[in-house]
Amino acid sequence: MSKIAEVITRFPVFRKKALQTVVHYLLMILFAFLMFGLILFIAGKDPLQSYKDIFTSTLGSAYGFSEVIVAMIPMLITALAVALPFRVGLINIGGEGQLYIGAAFATFGALTFPNLPAWLLLPLMALLGMVGGALWAFIPGYLKSIGLVNETITSLLLNSVAPKIIGFLILGFWHAPRDTIRTPNFGTSALLPTFFGTRIHLGLVFGLGLLIVFWLVMKYTRWGLEMRAIGSNPQAAKRNGIPLSRYLVIIMCAGGAIAGLAGMVQVSGFYGTLFLNFSISLGFMGFMICWLAGGDPLGIVLMAFVVSVIYSGGNLLQLTRDLPFAVINILLAFTLFIVLARPAFFKGRKS
Amino acid sequence: MKNKLFGLLSIVVCTLVLLSACGPAATSTPVVVVPTVVPSTAVPPTEVPTPTPPCLIIGATYGGSITDAGYNQAMHEAVMAIKTSIDCVEIIYAEGVPDEAGATTTMENMISQGATLIFATGNNHQYPALALSQTHPDVIFEHAGGWEMGANFANFFGNPPDGWYLMGVAAGKMTTSNKIGFVANSPFAWSLVFLNAFELGVQSVNPDAKTYVTYTQAWGDSAKEAEATNALINQGCDVITMHVDSPITVVGTAESRGVYSIGFQNLAAQQFAPEYWISGTGYTLGGKLTWLASTVIDGTWTPIFLRCGMSDGCMAMAPFGKRVPQNVQDLVMQKKAEVEAGTLVVFTGPIVDQDGTVRVPAGEVLTADNMSYVDWLVQGVVGSPK
Amino acid sequence: MTLLSILGVLSSAIFSGTSLLFTTLGEVIDERAGIVNLGLEGVLLVSASSGFAVTYLSGNPYLGILVSILAGGLMNMILGYLVITRKANQLASGLALMFFGFGLSALIGKPFVGEKIHSLTRYVLPGTAGLPLLYTSLFKFDILIYLVIPAAILVWWLLYRTRWGLGVRAVGENADTAFASGRNPHLIRYQALFAGGMLVGLGAAHLTIAFTMNWTEYMTAGRGFIAVALVIFSKWHPLRAIAGALVFSGAVAFQLLLQSSGVQVSPFLLDTLPYILTLVVLIAWGGNRKHSAPGSLGRVYQGSE
Repeated sequence: MSKIAEVITRFPVFRKKALQTVVHYLLMILFAFLMFGLILFIAGKDPLQSYKDIFTSTLGSAYGFSEVIVAMIPMLITALAVALPFRVGLINIGGEGQLYIGAAFATFGALTFPNLPAWLLLPLMALLGMVGGALWAFIPGYLKSIGLVNETITSLLLNSVAPKIIGFLILGFWHAPRDTIRTPNFGTSALLPTFFGTRIHLGLVFGLGLLIVFWLVMKYTRWGLEMRAIGSNPQAAKRNGIPLSRYLVIIMCAGGAIAGLAGMVQVSGFYGTLFLNFSISLGFMGFMICWLAGGDPLGIVLMAFVVSVIYSGGNLLQLTRDLPFAVINILLAFTLFIVLARPAFFKGRKS
Repeated sequence: MKNKLFGLLSIVVCTLVLLSACGPAATSTPVVVVPTVVPSTAVPPTEVPTPTPPCLIIGATYGGSITDAGYNQAMHEAVMAIKTSIDCVEIIYAEGVPDEAGATTTMENMISQGATLIFATGNNHQYPALALSQTHPDVIFEHAGGWEMGANFANFFGNPPDGWYLMGVAAGKMTTSNKIGFVANSPFAWSLVFLNAFELGVQSVNPDAKTYVTYTQAWGDSAKEAEATNALINQGCDVITMHVDSPITVVGTAESRGVYSIGFQNLAAQQFAPEYWISGTGYTLGGKLTWLASTVIDGTWTPIFLRCGMSDGCMAMAPFGKRVPQNVQDLVMQKKAEVEAGTLVVFTGPIVDQDGTVRVPAGEVLTADNMSYVDWLVQGVVGSPK
Repeated sequence: MTLLSILGVLSSAIFSGTSLLFTTLGEVIDERAGIVNLGLEGVLLVSASSGFAVTYLSGNPYLGILVSILAGGLMNMILGYLVITRKANQLASGLALMFFGFGLSALIGKPFVGEKIHSLTRYVLPGTAGLPLLYTSLFKFDILIYLVIPAAILVWWLLYRTRWGLGVRAVGENADTAFASGRNPHLIRYQALFAGGMLVGLGAAHLTIAFTMNWTEYMTAGRGFIAVALVIFSKWHPLRAIAGALVFSGAVAFQLLLQSSGVQVSPFLLDTLPYILTLVVLIAWGGNRKHSAPGSLGRVYQGSE
């Protein structure tokens, strides 16, 4: 593999580190696909036809491709919600819950102010979403900062609590007159606009925009340097006078706010309503994507794309190959395993 | 050397795989090739014999597993019944379709595979199906248990409340502790309607008996269902029934505790309680769905708010269990005859809710299309309606 | 609140808490060796589906339990390979294992959804045979329930009274020191993962074969994460884990009781009680749990190659 890399890097264009990273990732993903093909074969399904199904339904048509982008949008944002606290050494595994609470707050805005024009309502909902997410992240952040409980545990418990609160809010107060498990459809001013007749919505701009901002801040601003310093050596930072625990709580809340924004984006851009259990592990997916990408914004976009292709492609698979949809998780898991295991022939990839 | 080869191989395979994306998706009927007729010699065109295309491709989405001995199995059996009656249809189905997220994608995939009639059987598939009906005006959508209507969108359902009333009669007679347990997913309209019908039936023969309801917040969380059943039994309930996707866990748990059970969704539930089964009701919509499919095939389909009950063969009652005394069986069958004749209407007023408010005034009836607005429980049901 | 209701809550807590306790015990061993397993959901699901499948096919629940135990151990070996040999991040590896478990269990379990199995026989708690039927039916338990407390004691004995347990705890505190004193951290961690995985498999077996007697996709519904929380709750001590499992399952049973006793509180809010209670107890009686955690928990041991 290193030989191949050597040959490739002789061409100047391939010297670009970004491109190298992309090639390395692609090869790892390919290996995972091969392993999944083996599982399919053992299960008695035709692997080649299965892969054909996956790729034609996602990359083979404009509509399929647009659906992949749509699936990508929330994962870009939830991955960022993990990447930001990660810079200061915090593990934000509470994205699932922050997403839900952010969505709830945003829904409150949509239902309470249906007559506001879109240019007022949408930013308000986004703000509310971020407040909700930040609130949900504040609890584990604060408890950690006063030394009481590890933030991982609090976040995990709160992840389970959040969807139940949504249930309480919907059935108790917000439900549509005839449909008690969802809110009424949001008015048009509460919906994020879509593009080109597809379901791709403004959330994509939020996601990509935030990632770019994140990259710029981390690389070029004082805050970015500060955060990286704190992340690598918290004790030194403390000695330098940075109010560490307050800083950590604020960053945790910022992560939560971003996850809450993802919640708002889903209910406003994708569903147009709030209903029970709308998140299909989006928070955990974000965690995985962020970790796989090493917190790097470009990597996040790439991994989110791959994960979306896998999930969207898996949908056709259940119709044509008679496989339960859940089986596509195996392909996802293999991709993750390969990247985590960093096989010897992929040595040299930046960690 | 090995690594280099592997690397080369990877790139080749990668390219091939990506190229395959340019090809068409899964199998479709082969194209007939007709060479152009040469005018000078009257050679008849040769045609490649083709398999007959299906007269209708039907797509069906289910919220859970088709072997759950419950709602999804009942729906699947109904859809497959179409094929036994009309052999030329082709059926594509997807199980475990999550409520709104996956439903749209799945149905789009079905349409791209040629489906022109879609049965969306999951409760939450209604709005995704409705949205798709607007972007695909040439596809017909039928939703189970909903209320929306459109030019190419309609809904169908059985009439469970009648059956529930009869089950209530049986339960009211069989209970000795006067406590009956009901395990439900969440307090949404259909569950509340079933609970109400059930308790009205119970009270008609046993005014002191109450129904206790607990919620599992999921259509198929079997651990929660087992916990809920045990909790109800531990409170003294000696008859258990449920409204979740699959009756297996609830009925099985009741059986393991030696407590009576009443099934719902599918008559197949009986095998899980050989001893303490009382009875049950289930959907048998095969005939109706076959009729719907035939109207689509011959082009006479119109959107109808379709509800049908036991007398139309859409709902069926399970055989009685071995411990049900003959007089109880006779009473239930007698009431069944009254319901089918129309002399007994389940939701006839006055119906009073838990707080004492009159929800259905005397002389009036709760009609089918109003059932989706129900957010209250009748007196005699112990539990929260929200 | 009658005596019957209280005993009822206790009975429910024991029934549903047994699988939770086995899982927690397994995770205690793993975390004592320094490894966090966020993929417990996946391990539980794969063990449950395989155990259920074998029980159905063979008609013998004990065979199913054995397979479940084995499956648990093997799933943990995947985590072990990633985390120990490849030195990958534990949290991410755990989540990857969880997704793997989602998919593999669905594949294994699909043919068996809706099937009926022969479950374990239930025996009345010795000593209660004389009580009225109402009470004895509350305390009719299967053999795994009777074995769970001895299992906790066994785990305690293993960790605190054997050389192997000492090694596990040493590696968990500081793998470098353990290595310096002649132990093989890699091997010990693998062993701990396998042993822990077996207990988790036992928990899965109880859940699917004895408790629900059923298999459905995703049936564990978060129990894996609850187990991780309970390990911290019990300060990584197997005997305190008994209390943790009882508190959580008891809270679940109690909120179900509240729901059906006519309390006009949203069942959703009531359902948050077990989690909130766990959190509150964690905070109130926590003291500083940071000091009780195994020192190298979550950290990758670089080893000396």
